[in-house]
Amino acid sequence: MTTALRFLIVDDFSTMRRIVRNLLKESGFADADEAEDGVAALNKLRNSKFDFVVTDINMPNMNGFQLLAEIKKDDKLKHLPVLMVTAEARKEDIVAAAQGGAAGYIVKPFTKATLEEKVTLILKKMGL
Amino acid sequence: MEATTDHSLPPADVHHKIGHLTRQLHDSLNELGYADKLRGSMGELPDAQSRLSYIARLTGEAAEKVLNRVEQAKAQHDYIAAETRRVVASLVKDPVAAVAKGEIMNFLTDVERVTKEADAHLTEIMMAQDFHDLTGQVIARVVNLAATIENQLVQLLIQTAPPNAQVAAVVEPARSQHLQGPVVDPEHTADVVTDQSQVDDLLASLGF
Repeated sequence: MTTALRFLIVDDFSTMRRIVRNLLKESGFADADEAEDGVAALNKLRNSKFDFVVTDINMPNMNGFQLLAEIKKDDKLKHLPVLMVTAEARKEDIVAAAQGGAAGYIVKPFTKATLEEKVTLILKKMGL
Repeated sequence: MEATTDHSLPPADVHHKIGHLTRQLHDSLNELGYADKLRGSMGELPDAQSRLSYIARLTGEAAEKVLNRVEQAKAQHDYIAAETRRVVASLVKDPVAAVAKGEIMNFLTDVERVTKEADAHLTEIMMAQDFHDLTGQVIARVVNLAATIENQLVQLLIQTAPPNAQVAAVVEPARSQHLQGPVVDPEHTADVVTDQSQVDDLLASLGF
């Protein structure tokens, strides 16, 4: 299955961006772009069309929580589902992400099945 | 890094020795290119031993996983290579019999199975590379520890300075962000999740 949805993968580690990108491709989501932090992500989101954001939390310049907040207060972007994929495993971070409007939360290290399951679930909830 | 002993100094000149040690650490951090980046991370003193053990464990597991998968894939590759030679020989000898006995169909079925398994091996090898992200975050925190020690030595240097020594003003570093990175010791860390199912349960309990 291949969908036309466009993903933005945000992580300061290029290795992780490549892993997520390859996993999404294997799951049928071949159209993806990458950003190395929240600032670069916002720039891309405001200048190009995306359907889904997969973001790390702990990043320089603008972290994942700040990116989430910026997306949710932007009328043109707030509809975008944001899936946090992070090593931050504290309960208060997970709760903060949910309350901030994140569509899902995955802790690293994760499996291909987990990523595929969460993305599919989020898209299903959104009717996509 | 090993501190050198300067025997030309009087034994009582503790202040001078600390200054020397601080300078060494400072120069080392500068050479590593970390000094400016890490200046702001002066929070709690992390458990460097746990973090280094975590790095050793994670890199070890990743290497083990990759080697296991490579060994399995190579064995399957050897099998397919041998089967290819056998089926080719069979086809050359008696093509009709090779097809009639199902050798060709069995071979193609094997190829399809091994191809799927090879793809799974490659995916697992790719996933094993996530150690780079996780250990990178932990390494950054260990380097933060060195920066913390440097700062503490600077403070000690100031406190033990002789009355006539000129001490430059030290800028109070900003507190580190609360983000912790990977949990290196989940059994002894409160209020963290240890796997994805706990994340899902927590979110479900909040109605998400």
